[in-house]
Formats: sequence, C-alpha cells, structure tokens
Amino acid sequence: MAQVSEYRGSIHQQQKDMMLDWYQKLDDAAGGADQPTVSMMISGNCVELLEGFGAAPMYPEVNALQLAIRHQSLEPILAAEELGYAADNCAYVKADIGCMLKGITPTGGRLPKPTLVLCNFVGCNTYVKWFEHVAEFTGAPLYVLDVPFLRGEEPSQADVEYVVRQLKEVVELLERLTGRKFDFDRFRQAVAYSSEVEDLWSKIKHLSKHSPSPFDAYFDAITLMGPLYVYRASERGAEFFRSAYEELRAKRDANEGIYDREKFRVVVEGPPPYPYFRAFRDMFAKWNACAVASTYSTVGGLWEFGFRHDPDKPFESVAMHMLAQNVTNRNYLQRYDQIRRYVNEWNADGVIIHFVKSCRLFSAGQGDMRDYFTRQLGVPTLYIESDLEDPRYFAEAQTKNRIDAFFESLEHAKHAAKVGA
Amino acid sequence: MRIAAGVDVGSTQTKAVLMQDNGERKILARALTDTGANVLKAAESAFHKCCESAGIHSQEVGYVVGTGYGRYKITFGNAQMTEISCHARGAQFLCPGTRTVIDMGGQDSKAISVGPQGEVLDFVMNDKCAAGTGRFLANAAEVMGIGLDEIGPLSLKATQPVKIATVCTVFVESDILSYLSQGKRPENIMGGVHLAIAKRTLSLARRVNIEPEVTMTGGVARNCGMVHALETVLGRKMQISPDAHYMGAVGAAIFALEKMDDTFENTVWREHAAGSRN
Repeated sequence: MAQVSEYRGSIHQQQKDMMLDWYQKLDDAAGGADQPTVSMMISGNCVELLEGFGAAPMYPEVNALQLAIRHQSLEPILAAEELGYAADNCAYVKADIGCMLKGITPTGGRLPKPTLVLCNFVGCNTYVKWFEHVAEFTGAPLYVLDVPFLRGEEPSQADVEYVVRQLKEVVELLERLTGRKFDFDRFRQAVAYSSEVEDLWSKIKHLSKHSPSPFDAYFDAITLMGPLYVYRASERGAEFFRSAYEELRAKRDANEGIYDREKFRVVVEGPPPYPYFRAFRDMFAKWNACAVASTYSTVGGLWEFGFRHDPDKPFESVAMHMLAQNVTNRNYLQRYDQIRRYVNEWNADGVIIHFVKSCRLFSAGQGDMRDYFTRQLGVPTLYIESDLEDPRYFAEAQTKNRIDAFFESLEHAKHAAKVGA
Repeated sequence: MRIAAGVDVGSTQTKAVLMQDNGERKILARALTDTGANVLKAAESAFHKCCESAGIHSQEVGYVVGTGYGRYKITFGNAQMTEISCHARGAQFLCPGTRTVIDMGGQDSKAISVGPQGEVLDFVMNDKCAAGTGRFLANAAEVMGIGLDEIGPLSLKATQPVKIATVCTVFVESDILSYLSQGKRPENIMGGVHLAIAKRTLSLARRVNIEPEVTMTGGVARNCGMVHALETVLGRKMQISPDAHYMGAVGAAIFALEKMDDTFENTVWREHAAGSRN
C-alpha cells in the first residue's frame, strides 16, 4: 500500500486556526466592522505598510488556491470563460472573477469590498489586468504600484527610490480612504516583526538540510506560507514562527523525518497542482521522497540567503523586498542559481519542475531550465505539466507515470553505480 | 529452472514475456492480446498464453512484474514498474550498446537516454496529446480506408510526400481529406503523415540528447514506413529487435528476475539504511 505522508506536529493546526481567524476578520469587515482591507498579490507583498493603518490584506490568489484545494475551482473558472475569458488565461484570474460573478467564497463566509485594490505589480503583468477587473467588479479604487523587473543582480538606486515614492503615495491614498492617520511607529514595529519572522523562516528552511528532513519544504512549506503572508508583520506571526521553529528544530534534533525512512531528496520548481494537491503529494510519498527546498515557497519572499526587512530603513527595505527578494521578480539566471544552490547545499538527488499551463510568465523557459540542469550540471530533472488551479489540465495517470519513472531511474542509477563500483 | 514474467498492459495491446535464467537469461515465450476494457483479463490472458506456449504451469513462475498504464490492475503480479524503466532495460538486453531509446506505442511516445547497465538517465514523453503516437497513424489509416499493416509499405512508395501541417490526431483527418480532394496519391499522403510524426519524434528525442546506439521499441517499430521516416530525419540507422513490440515486457521480466534474486531493490535500500548520505 502506498505510503501517505502527513506532517506529524501541531503547526498545521495552528496555521489553520490563524487562517480561519483571518477569514473571520474579512467577514466582519464585510459585515460593517471598522476594518480597512487591501487587496494585494502575494509576490512581493507589502503587508508591513498595511499594519501602519491596521488594515488587513486580502489575497485573491489565496482565495483561488483555497477553492482549488477544496475541489471547487472549476465552477468559477467556467463562469469566467462563459463571460469571455480565454481558455489559456491565468486560471487564478478566472477562478477569482468567477467567484465574484457567482458569489462564491472559499470558506462560505463573506468577503468585503476592499478599501483599496493595490496592484503591487511584481513579476506578473497579467495581474495588472486582473486587479483592474477586481476594481471594476468591486467598485473599489485601484492603485497600480509599478515594480520594475530586476534586470541585473541588484536593483538600481533609482529603482528603489521609484518604488519608495509610490509606497508613500499609497500611504497618502490610504489616509484619505480610511480616514486614519498612518502610524509610522506601528509600521516600523511591523517591519521589525517581519525581520524576526524572516529570520525564523530562514532558519526553518535550513533545517531541511538535515537528513532526514524534519518537514517537506514544498508541501509543508505551503502550509506555512499562509501565516507568512498574512501575519508576517505582526506579533501573532512572530509567535507562530517562534513555535514553528522550535517544533521543527526539535524534530531535527530527534532525527525525526517526514518519512520514517527518507529515500530521496528533491528540489521542486513551480507551484503545485492545487486541485490535486493530496494526490500529487502522495505520488512523492509513495517513494519516501522529500522536497528539501522549493522555489514556490520563495514567491512571497526570498529570505534563506540573507535578506531581511530593516526597521531602520522601513520604506527602503519594503521596496527592496518587492524589487529583488521574491522569486518572480528576479531574472531567470538568478532562479537557475537559486535552484543550483538548493541542489548542492541541501544535498538533493534531483529537481522536479512543474510547468503551469495557464501561467506563461512563471513557466516560460522551464524547458531550457530542464536542459540546463540535466545536460550542463548532470542533475536528474523531471519536467511535468498541469496547472495550479484548473483541474482540466491534470492527467493523474500520466503524472504518476512520470514521477514513478523518475524515482525508478534514481533508484536504478544508485544501484548501477553500486554494481559498477 | 528460475523463471520470471513481465506483463506490459499498454493502452492498445497487452504483451507478456517469460524469461528464464540458468546463468544466461533467455526469453522462453511471448504472447500478445488486445487490452480492451478489462485490463486484468487481458493481463491474465497474455500471461497464461505465455505459460501454455512455454509448456509450464503458471505456478512455476517465481516473480511477475507488471508495467504499462494498466500495471496496477495486475493483481497476480508481485511488483510494478513504469514502462520507461522497462523499455530501457529491455533495449539494453536485446540490443546491447543502446544509449537512446525511441519508443512509440499506442498513446505514448517517449525518448529515453540509457546508461550502460540499462538505467534511465533521462526521459521525455509526449504530453497529454496523441500526436506522434500509434493512435495518430491509426486515425490516418482509418480516414484513408487502409489497413494499419499496409500504411508503412505504402508510405515507402511515396515520391512526393505531402506536407502535413498539423500533428493533431484529430485535425489530421481534415488535412488528409483535403489532400484526397486535391487528388494527391495515397502513398504521398501516407509518406507525409509518417514524415510529420518522425519530425515530431525527433524534436522529442533531441531533448534527451540523441546518442548512438539508437534503438526503437514499441508497437510502431513494426511499421517499416515509420522506421524509414525516423531513420531519415535522424540521419542514422536504428537497432530494431524482432521483439521491439515486447520490449516493455522483456524489461519487466528482467526486473522480475532481479527482484526474485533480491539483487535490485534491497541493495538500494540497504544503502539508505546505512545512512550513506551522511
């Protein structure tokens, strides 16, 4: 019988409670509570700024993936397609738009009209249109915060200043929209919390260098990403990540892995197929294969290589995070390098690339990436295709076949190396 | 006598092979049946036909490995492996020196880079699309009203193969009808069809680096027109075993012998248990 992996600890339940509390806060806001809300995208989110107003973030992506993981994404996707959205349009967009059309929410609770639709345009130009549509459907004001793509290794000073000026415009706009004065001290405190959380998160990420890894840095990391993006800049977020680090460190110290016998260590590139999240995880579990690192867990921020928000430079560090410290706004060669470091420093056996059919921006170039790792670095690399939101793109038998073949080949190669030695 | 079996349940046909190992591995018997809707029945039928053909009782078979899409339905089997591993292993056994395998089956086509011991170094497959597979050829044959066995020889007679713009298994029908209405000769149409698939397969194979020796496996290897078209675009001859169609089952039978001997999986597991990573 296939082994089914389950994280054995308390942090998953804690994060579930936190996310339900967050949805409750949004429901209260929809019910008339004095609670400003701001729609944002995950990648390079500036949740710290919102804390200066006591505003809650809303993430259309999180709503979309929550629907998919609950097997409810197809109905809103079809509703959006009926309206004219193309078949190859981003499925996150279609699920979100379809939800607005049909009045669906992931938890069944209410979602408020956002105080502001803040399109923190990081790494995805489709989002500009998406957020324009969100503003159109909700009637909320829209601010497009233009974050230039990272062209070289680091952003220029002009890039940083450009983003900081826009952040300050957002502050002025939110002051007008909420009627609240921006609390700079609270903002700086939020940046300090973020810095602490990022330090803890980074330490957690490095725990998976241990074999066996105490958690799966793809599937379990996704669970931790909710609190990371919603609560990062708050005391509650800091408390959660302190306890998460302690729990996982204790597992590491006790040599307790996600599997009783870890057999393979892989790096995963790309988001998961959320509509088949459990089935997909089980395909890895069958082989006792643990993801020791993933690029998807750095979409909202890349912290394991040293970057932290800085309370002494709150605006500048928020800008730096948006510009340079999240995987989607970085250039492709930097992504190669990120994965290469994961393979070497986390001692991985191979790389698995999941191509997302409806996200050309994230996925374009992954064929070359496969070639680079396979041919130039000699790292076994599997390339599979489906979608992060649209269940129609997932072929279970074919995906399973490829994953089985990949791990068989790793197993056989180890055997052949031993026989040949 | 140590005997093991490999059963390859493909989308179109189910193949079984019995193999013995008396110091030297040898194929004892092979059998073929249409898969149909009842996968288990097809697997049992092929397996028992094989046993009959070899003149042995099924209980004399020490280990059975299932492969192909229906492998998990083979309830009488001892283990399952993917056809990717099995084709590589089978090709290395029947065509020693194989470094690249091009497998064309009913619904899948794949290119596999193979190591010296038959291990899979890399592989790519067609993705959720029957372009470049046996099904594409079968559809083309049906539209033309020609038997599947005849299309290969017919395509070899092509003097001016037509250009088939699409590699879509569904839309190729309209392409063919269009050429027929233009009065193009059947051999030139079939020549074009074979060439279109060969080019698509070439681009698949290039993604794993084509290294000699190249071995073709799978049911489509029986199609001489496809072999010719592939060798033309590859610019080299391929090795084609008379058992090319059975290659997945052959590989599965070899794995079955090794698993029966406890020489494969446990060796790897012991390696892990000893903490070789640390």
